[in-house]
Amino acid sequence: MTIKIRLPQKSILTKKFIQEKGMKTILFLSAISAIIVMFSIIIFLFRDAFPIFQRIGLVPFLTGMRWNPVGQPPLYGAFPLIIATLLVTLGAMVIAIPLSIGSAIFISEIATPKVKAIMKPAIELLAGIPSVVYGFFGLLVLTTWIQGIFTIPTGETWLAGSILLGIMAIPTITSVAEDAISSVPREYKEGSLAVGATRWQTISKVVVPSAMSGITAAIILGIGRAIGETMAVMMVCGNPTYGLIPSPITNIFTPVKTLTATLGIEMGEVASGSNHYYALFGLALILLIITLVVNILATVILGRLKERQKSSSKKKPLVSYEIGEKIKRTFYLIIGILLAGLILTAIGPLPTVFVLILIAIAYYLKKKISMKMKQRIAFSIISLTIITVIIILGIILAYIISNGIGALSWEFITTGPSNLGRSGGIFPSIIGTLYLVAGAIAMSLPLGVGAAIYLNEYTREGKITKIIRAGADLLNGTPSIVFGLFGFAFFVMYLKFGFSLLAGQITLAFMILPTIIRTTEEALKCVPSSLREGSYALGATKWQTIRRVVLPPAAPGILTGAILGIGRAAGETAPILFTAVVFSDFIPSSLFQPVNALPYHLFTLATSIPGSKQNQAGTALVLLLLVIGIYLIAILLRNRYRKTMKW
Amino acid sequence: MINIIQKKLNKNIGSLIIGLSIIALLFTTFFSGCVQQQEGLPIVPIGRDSTSGTREFFWTFVMNKENFSASLLEKNSNGAVQQTVAQTPGAIGYVGLGYVDSTVKALTINNITASANTVLSKIYPISRDLYMFTKGEATGEAKEFIDYIQSTEGQAIVQEEGFVPLPNSVSYNSSGKTFSGTLTVSGSTTVLPIASKEATAFMNIYHGLTVTVTGGGSGAGITAVSSGTVNIGMSSRDLQSSESNLGLVKHVIAKDGIVIIVNPSNNYVDNLSLDQLKAIYKGEITNWKDLSK
Repeated sequence: MTIKIRLPQKSILTKKFIQEKGMKTILFLSAISAIIVMFSIIIFLFRDAFPIFQRIGLVPFLTGMRWNPVGQPPLYGAFPLIIATLLVTLGAMVIAIPLSIGSAIFISEIATPKVKAIMKPAIELLAGIPSVVYGFFGLLVLTTWIQGIFTIPTGETWLAGSILLGIMAIPTITSVAEDAISSVPREYKEGSLAVGATRWQTISKVVVPSAMSGITAAIILGIGRAIGETMAVMMVCGNPTYGLIPSPITNIFTPVKTLTATLGIEMGEVASGSNHYYALFGLALILLIITLVVNILATVILGRLKERQKSSSKKKPLVSYEIGEKIKRTFYLIIGILLAGLILTAIGPLPTVFVLILIAIAYYLKKKISMKMKQRIAFSIISLTIITVIIILGIILAYIISNGIGALSWEFITTGPSNLGRSGGIFPSIIGTLYLVAGAIAMSLPLGVGAAIYLNEYTREGKITKIIRAGADLLNGTPSIVFGLFGFAFFVMYLKFGFSLLAGQITLAFMILPTIIRTTEEALKCVPSSLREGSYALGATKWQTIRRVVLPPAAPGILTGAILGIGRAAGETAPILFTAVVFSDFIPSSLFQPVNALPYHLFTLATSIPGSKQNQAGTALVLLLLVIGIYLIAILLRNRYRKTMKW
Repeated sequence: MINIIQKKLNKNIGSLIIGLSIIALLFTTFFSGCVQQQEGLPIVPIGRDSTSGTREFFWTFVMNKENFSASLLEKNSNGAVQQTVAQTPGAIGYVGLGYVDSTVKALTINNITASANTVLSKIYPISRDLYMFTKGEATGEAKEFIDYIQSTEGQAIVQEEGFVPLPNSVSYNSSGKTFSGTLTVSGSTTVLPIASKEATAFMNIYHGLTVTVTGGGSGAGITAVSSGTVNIGMSSRDLQSSESNLGLVKHVIAKDGIVIIVNPSNNYVDNLSLDQLKAIYKGEITNWKDLSK
């Protein structure tokens, strides 16, 4: 018997070769898109910020104590704005860190599997609540409460901003910290319990310290999110016109004006090409640099964590144990003094002494009480944190649902607004949001998936992947309002798109690109390499393997990423504020016409149209349902996928 | 979840009591610290953002271009000012005539009530013009639309929206004219409600024509009309020096009075002199009791 071996014709070979090469180039191009976007953002911000640095100098701009761009003479002092940004973020972290770390420990270590199965996705779901919805709640409820409870002239204060940002950061920090705590190897826990430690000792002395880097990264990510947040802060912080540094610095009842709020308020009406315009880009550049530093810090810490887990070789610690303890102690002391100062200004000197005595007693008792008692106290405090979180978020959701449900009707979602949105429906905004999101996902999905395929399939870990990943991470940490300013400078002004659907779509696409890259990469990594090897062994080319073998099982994961991106794009306001949206009731018929979108409609109703309470709440509810619904689909899909995919 | 809480309650009843009592103590100290009432009612001045036409006007005519108080809170629309004043007992704010309703109390200035009549006759001291801009002289549909707004019919809509109509308007004549295509208008949020209604009425005359009116702010509107993205830009302020070389032509379409509003619960004042108003916004008077009648 003779075996006839049919060799492929040469033309097919070259065709395949060209296809392979072409694919690789295309994927490479999409992979570097994240970096290109990041660079163009920096370049365009710098281009429009440079004139102001040139005209008044970088140092006066950074250290000037007064922000009054339209005064005589105009003053461009960004210092109070920077300080306000940092203070509001600090306050938010004081609220968010204990609550979210407590919740993370509860979910990963204390909760029963059943409770965990509910709590974990619930917290992730809450991460999807659009910031304008938080702002809406803050503007109408939180500031009134603060004003009433503390009998201060106005509730629109640093405190209001910090509380709201703290609440917003909780889901982000909790879910990342929970991942870090859950990924502590079982052996650590078992070892600790085996030598007779209690559960609380195990958690506090073994589990949490091992997860410390992950928790730190979670906190830094939370900080990054808080610094860059625009809409909520703009709606509740009061925004004193020249910027205000609280005096004394711990006075949390001072209205403040942050960098993001200044941009959000002033960008819309500023005359382009004026010094004021350039100064606003200067602020955006400062904001970008602050968030970049924060995010680079997070990346470095996470990187070190990975390295440490890989190499078991003992490195000499940077500082000796004794000095380390000393540093720790001084650190605690400083935080203690800061907190005491905060309490002092908030509730007066006598209660402060009282609280201090209480702390001293607690410190003394700490050494006296039994391990079991300690564990009980610790566990109830931790349970208390997660209960607090649930109550807070419950109040917000309950407020929006109970107020909005009355406005909800078939007419509300299918007709246009009348009387400036006070009556009528929100149909054009829903359609506008769908247009924006559809365009954004159509642009970012191919780019993001291509980039992820290139990173995961075509290259080994090395310099190029590191740079591309860093680019994506930085893009991920870039505040949404910076995307908005970039979109305005590049698409609206430079490319002369004008306020248009297209400009909004591309800006949103850039914003969700890193989310899609990251989730797709994770999905690709879950496909075992044995499948690829099998495919190669049968003679398939690289691209054939990817298309026929790797992508199909990864599709649900990629879809999850796309859905998360859609959810984020649907809820964001700041990126479209200066690129695409206008408050109107018309539906665009071309890409170069402006649109109205749900979050912007809500923002305008809540801040500009008196007597539109009913429709505000209705719009908030529709937006909330839309975004939460999208996130819910993503989470369910992912959970199903995780369960069914067993190799 | 409830099971867990119940279990915890049974197990940790002791620690829970300790925890709760600590929280209760903290709360009581908290409130006892807060009850110390201040005398009178501190003034919370509310203003518009620095790029707003309303603010520029107020700053020029009331403040004589002197600096505002550092505690002036900025809002980026008339509605936001109105809403904050309605919500904050000690607040004072300035808004366009069209934004006064029962949720706020309008003050008289120098004993003059703000109304269309007092603005038109220039007795009311703080009033201004609202503008539309075209690139070069207005032509075609744009000219016709502006003519319509400036006509008696158009000015009736201005009045309907709570603004002050121009004096000496003439009736609009549409006989023998036909227009089709689209006309785009964009800009100031103050002018937006007028323009939206004018557009609806205008389209009822010329059925072939589509007029789209969009907001975005005075600056955005001026940018858009000078780059040719829209046919007409709306603005509540005049052109700034950096915009004077854009080749824009100004059309006054309405007048507006700036009304000073306070919270309805404010029983301290009903009238302010311009000097008092200035002193409040400069931060020289900080408590309503200093202004008591």
